[in-house]
Amino acid sequence: MASEQHAFAYDPEKNYDEDIMAQQRQIEKEIAETQPLVSGLFTFDDIVEEYTSEDAVYRHKIEDLKTRYANMRKTRGDGNCFFRAFGFAFLESLIKDPTDYSRFLELVTKSKDELIALGFPQFTLEDFYDTFIDIVKQVKSPGTVEKLVETFNDQGLSDYFVVYLRLIVSGFLQKKEDEYIHFIDGERTVKQFCSQEVEPMGKESDHIHIVALTKALEVPIRVEYMDREGLTCNAFTFSASDTSDDSLVKPAVSLLYRPGHYDILYPL
Amino acid sequence: MTSMEKRLQKELQAMTKDPPAGVSVNTDLLSSNLSEWVVDIEGAPGTLYESERFQLGFKFTSRYPFDSPQVMFLGPNIPVHPHIYSNGHICLSILTEDWSPALSVQSVCLSIVSMLSSCKEKKLPPDNALYVRTCSKDPKKTRWWYHDNSV
Repeated sequence: MASEQHAFAYDPEKNYDEDIMAQQRQIEKEIAETQPLVSGLFTFDDIVEEYTSEDAVYRHKIEDLKTRYANMRKTRGDGNCFFRAFGFAFLESLIKDPTDYSRFLELVTKSKDELIALGFPQFTLEDFYDTFIDIVKQVKSPGTVEKLVETFNDQGLSDYFVVYLRLIVSGFLQKKEDEYIHFIDGERTVKQFCSQEVEPMGKESDHIHIVALTKALEVPIRVEYMDREGLTCNAFTFSASDTSDDSLVKPAVSLLYRPGHYDILYPL
Repeated sequence: MTSMEKRLQKELQAMTKDPPAGVSVNTDLLSSNLSEWVVDIEGAPGTLYESERFQLGFKFTSRYPFDSPQVMFLGPNIPVHPHIYSNGHICLSILTEDWSPALSVQSVCLSIVSMLSSCKEKKLPPDNALYVRTCSKDPKKTRWWYHDNSV
């Protein structure tokens, strides 16, 4: 490898774009072949094996997670992991406890007309909306976790679901433009931010995406942040409304954040 | 019918029924499975390209609308514009990294018409000669560097 690198001579007259992009496609292909969109259940003993024995900080934090969570599912690292993890985990929670189902269905049913009113083209929106609603309704038809895993691993269906969640976030941020313009970096309008960082597939989610999704769907989320700081994971609850107190919120979805990636956690 | 064909069928209907100003699908040049389109566009009145006619070629993969379409100017008349290379390739972020499956042929055409309309001086991109000599035939295989939102 080293000798190959040594032999490489940059030719300013040559265009390397095609080679670089071929390499990127290859990496994406390898990820797609090795990581399911939504995995089966893993125990934390499986996860701890991902870290070497010298990696004391991470190993310690996994022990910490074990005191609060039973197990976890992984999602594919394709830039859509937050949306996919959230979507799967929330629908799975509705299968187990359908109390919130009717409220949620009503809210997302209304979202289509709201998005069209905001200027999203009806004929592209409809396809995503229809698939999204079909998947939501699977929860009650009667829903099983096995069937949901199957649906979320069918790339066609799963990606349609992710697109619609992205559009809901975009719509929410545009509707609350005055409030969110202050959280956007660069000289961009909220609409530009949404078309560059929210609507395209594969664009990673930041804090602002999570805040918008929780508030738009009124579904509280807990995120356990696992980084190199401190000895325990930092948990943060995104409440579904501005008035509710974090300590009173029972999150419907718990996610594990490791730098650049979200997976699903199951509380004990 | 594949999901790509279903989606394109729907787009074609919308574009022929209610075409945006200065944009029309050339239905004689549609390929049978809809994977290749030619769209005629006309420079908007009051702009540098007023009444000039151009052709845009669209190619779709089976992963459309998740894969962006390949879009370039075709034929003898390529607009002279700082973001359009003389081989027809277009530097426009929604065609690659800012593509979203909620966009469409129509929204791409409107962006290109608006890009022409806001142009203040007809000139080629500064790196046209080198780019045209070395680039791939497929503009989607260029790693575009988007640095100017003004035109």
